[in-house]
Amino acid sequence: MPSMTPRFALAAISALALAGIVGANLSRAARPAQGARVGSVPDTGPPAQTHAFFFARAAYSGFGRGEFGSWATDYPKADIQFLIGLKRLTNIDAYEGDRAVRLDDPDIRRYPFLYAVEVGRMALTDPEIAGLRDYLLAGGFLVVDDFWGTREWANFEFNIRRVLPEYPIVELPMDHPLLRTFYQIDEVVQVPNIWQGRRGGPTWERDGFVPHLRGIFDERGRMLVFISWNSDLGDAWEWAEDPFYPIQFSNHAYRLGVNLVIYGMSR
Amino acid sequence: MSSVAETVFRLLFKYRPVVFERGELAFGAPWPAWVLVVAGIVALALAAVPYALTRGDLRRMDRVVLASLRLGAFALLAFCLSRPMLVVATVVPQQNFLGVLLDDSRSMQIADDGRTRGAVLAELFGSEAAVVRALGEKFKLRFFRFSEMVERVNGPEELEFTGRRTDLGNALDGARRALSGVPLAGLVVVTDGAENAGGALDETVLRLQADGVPLHLVGLGKERFAKELEVTRVEAPRDVLAGSSVAVDVTLTHTGMSGERVTVSVEDAGRIVGTSEVELPREGETATARVHFTVEEPGARTFRVVVPKRPDELIGENNSREMLMVVNDRRERILYFEGEPRFEVKFLRRALDGDEQVHVVTLLRTAENKYLRLDVEDSTEVAGGFPKTRQELFAYRGLILGSIEASFFTHDQLRMIADFVSQRGGGLLVLGGRQAYAEGGYGETPLADVLPVVLDGRADSSRFYADVQVELTPFGRSHPITQLGTTPAASEERWRTLPALSTVNPITRVKPGASTLLRGREDVGDPFVVLAYQRYGRGRAVAFPVQDSWLWQMHADIPLEDQSHERFWQQLLRWLVSEVRDHVTVVTSTDRAERGQAVTVTAQVVDSGYVERNGAEVVATIVDPTGAARDVPMEWIVERDGEYVVSFTPTRDGRHEIHVTARERGVTAGTATAYLDVADLNSEFYGAHMRRGALERLAEATGGRFYTPPTLGTLPEDVSFTESGATVREERSLWDMPIVFLLLVGLIGAEWALRRKRGLA
Repeated sequence: MPSMTPRFALAAISALALAGIVGANLSRAARPAQGARVGSVPDTGPPAQTHAFFFARAAYSGFGRGEFGSWATDYPKADIQFLIGLKRLTNIDAYEGDRAVRLDDPDIRRYPFLYAVEVGRMALTDPEIAGLRDYLLAGGFLVVDDFWGTREWANFEFNIRRVLPEYPIVELPMDHPLLRTFYQIDEVVQVPNIWQGRRGGPTWERDGFVPHLRGIFDERGRMLVFISWNSDLGDAWEWAEDPFYPIQFSNHAYRLGVNLVIYGMSR
Repeated sequence: MSSVAETVFRLLFKYRPVVFERGELAFGAPWPAWVLVVAGIVALALAAVPYALTRGDLRRMDRVVLASLRLGAFALLAFCLSRPMLVVATVVPQQNFLGVLLDDSRSMQIADDGRTRGAVLAELFGSEAAVVRALGEKFKLRFFRFSEMVERVNGPEELEFTGRRTDLGNALDGARRALSGVPLAGLVVVTDGAENAGGALDETVLRLQADGVPLHLVGLGKERFAKELEVTRVEAPRDVLAGSSVAVDVTLTHTGMSGERVTVSVEDAGRIVGTSEVELPREGETATARVHFTVEEPGARTFRVVVPKRPDELIGENNSREMLMVVNDRRERILYFEGEPRFEVKFLRRALDGDEQVHVVTLLRTAENKYLRLDVEDSTEVAGGFPKTRQELFAYRGLILGSIEASFFTHDQLRMIADFVSQRGGGLLVLGGRQAYAEGGYGETPLADVLPVVLDGRADSSRFYADVQVELTPFGRSHPITQLGTTPAASEERWRTLPALSTVNPITRVKPGASTLLRGREDVGDPFVVLAYQRYGRGRAVAFPVQDSWLWQMHADIPLEDQSHERFWQQLLRWLVSEVRDHVTVVTSTDRAERGQAVTVTAQVVDSGYVERNGAEVVATIVDPTGAARDVPMEWIVERDGEYVVSFTPTRDGRHEIHVTARERGVTAGTATAYLDVADLNSEFYGAHMRRGALERLAEATGGRFYTPPTLGTLPEDVSFTESGATVREERSLWDMPIVFLLLVGLIGAEWALRRKRGLA
């Protein structure tokens, strides 16, 4: 599945569409936006514990194009590329294949690490909200990535508020243990998409000029959701082998990704 | 012998059996022996010759029988003419003393048949009683009352029946001492039971045997109650961590209540914290009820085990027992070494999140030579990876090994882990994983001996994987680790519905002596071992060869509010470190004692490497309930290394604290505290039936006899036949016994009848 670039060409349309989605969502309270769908979710095998780690991709309802929903952006190449790096860099017994799982599928609870992208296009249904909420409260860890600017943030925030209304979203301090779990990460790098990365800039999309690392924590201080806003780790993994994609971006994406996985498996 | 049989015996033999028992047979005829030989030959001739010579159709057998009958009659006459007699030693009237020991303990207040045992005693041994008068004619009587002490009294009128215990050994020794300078014909003990003070009765009996002083026991009370239930024993851990699930085994005995169901409760300060129902087995068999509850509040706490008294039960005091349990609120430190990132790490840590008592330090190998340290106390803790010195490893009380290959460790480290269990007494828990057990290459290492399971390994080198539907074993049903519900039934139900786990370590066999708590269900797959343990040296080794217990938290079938996963891990790790020793450990011979009961304090002292120390200066500071403290030095007992003892006798009721400090070369090696509750334990009401067997054995061992109120009439005469004290030899003739006359008439009559039948008369 292709990356959803060139985004700049669709920026105006997207912005308008998103404004509509957000507005519609706000007005209709907890009801999903019309037209949102998960799309096809490939059968990636039965749930199993044959390996210690599966990189599970969240298949959620959203506004995507074509056969797949927005959840499938960079899927599965980004996932597989990341797993190759993860296995090389750590001793995690990771399953090397991709794994997509719906939020309303009970089997999601077998994958305590979950990766979601393009959450600016997310429009969760009630069963998905219930499934994701229980998943997170039971001990699951959600990493969201690749959404840009204030409007996409607003959409994501609207959706995640429906999942976890009681917990605030907070900015991650630079001394947070996540940033030292495996690699010492001292700065938040804005990771651009493949097209902008190849072209040498700019690194931002829409009005997402500054990258942010944010988190949602429960009352005991356990991180339930990690949010990488205004950055695209997925593209950096997917195109890590591309000679024209700057290595510092994929390097940072891998470092953060490895830290996220080990953090999610130990905290 | 029953009284009827004894009466018949006396009619036939002129004297009571006791005279024959005590006496020696002698003959008083003045004739020399040759007269007897001649008389015998003549008698034989007179008996045999006439029948041999008689003509007629007498059969040979008739001749023999007739001759024998006549010969028998002659022999009996000869016996009588020989003046047979019994020589018995009897006391010289009023020359001997007789000690009468009267039970003054509280159990004498029990009214077996509407009258208390004390009232029966007062009637039987009052100054006007027939037995006392008869005894008084022959002996100088000295009365004593006894319970936990012994004291001279003038008679049963002075008894109060308030003694807390029956210390028979002490009573007998005391009476012997009081009567040491006088001729003592024996001791009569009037009691309802045997020793319950735990004294050395055997030695007392040996002394009585040596002195030839017979002990006559008079048993009061019923040998069996119609309906009675008693809490006989309570077994519980003495030392637990706050928040632990505790299993208390309660042993019940009963009479007349077979098949009935009773509820056993455990109370903490009047509040019921756990109950268990049990069906009472056949009479004579004990019932064991296991009561589970969780201890929360720290400190030395007294729990009470109660079975409600039924209206038709005679004694209510024996329906409960109290126990002392020290609930610790210290933090137990456990090292968890995991060889690869796994969700077990996250969820195990979360299960113990906020646990004040169990602190798990996690060392996670994330890549080759790269470690993540979690929950360390300071920057130096396990900074160099897995501990390399005993001192560093032995600082923990428990060790969890995850999926880490054996080749990671040096041989010394593996040896050190084995010593951690066997010598330090630590708890080792090994989780399942692709690098654990045989799959991790542990088959030929020192840990293979430590583990409770057999490391078979597989010939097939491919990666093994199997789902495991966990079920409780019969042993696991009642174990504190596996209690996931508030009641055993709720717990079993929870285990039935927990989702399946998986294993990559196909382990199906445990070692002899190991206990299996959880296993895989056979109908779902192979019966893999899921949770098993064994003692290894001073410590415990636990095998948990599954790899994803986190599913008990995360699985979609588990409600969010379910605490099974947290509870399982908290209970498992608490149990793992529950009996791990410190540098100094101290125990008392009992946790509850009566005032005046000697208590032994035993301390174990080891050095920083957990090697026993014999040369330490060990002092016990005993603080009584008033706060008064006294130091008593403890002595090393030579039989066992590192063990020191001292005994003391508490004199006040209430909680005593025993602080033990061990010092070596002026440096404190360690301290420990034990607690002792001194109280009225109602000891007299346990086993309160009259113990006939024990009393009979005691009487028999010393040459005395056992009596009950109906048979007491013969006591005065029996007591007078004694070798002890000032005695004379008395001759009692036997020729005039009615049995002799009856036999003679019988023999002659039989001969005459047979002769008549054969036509000879």
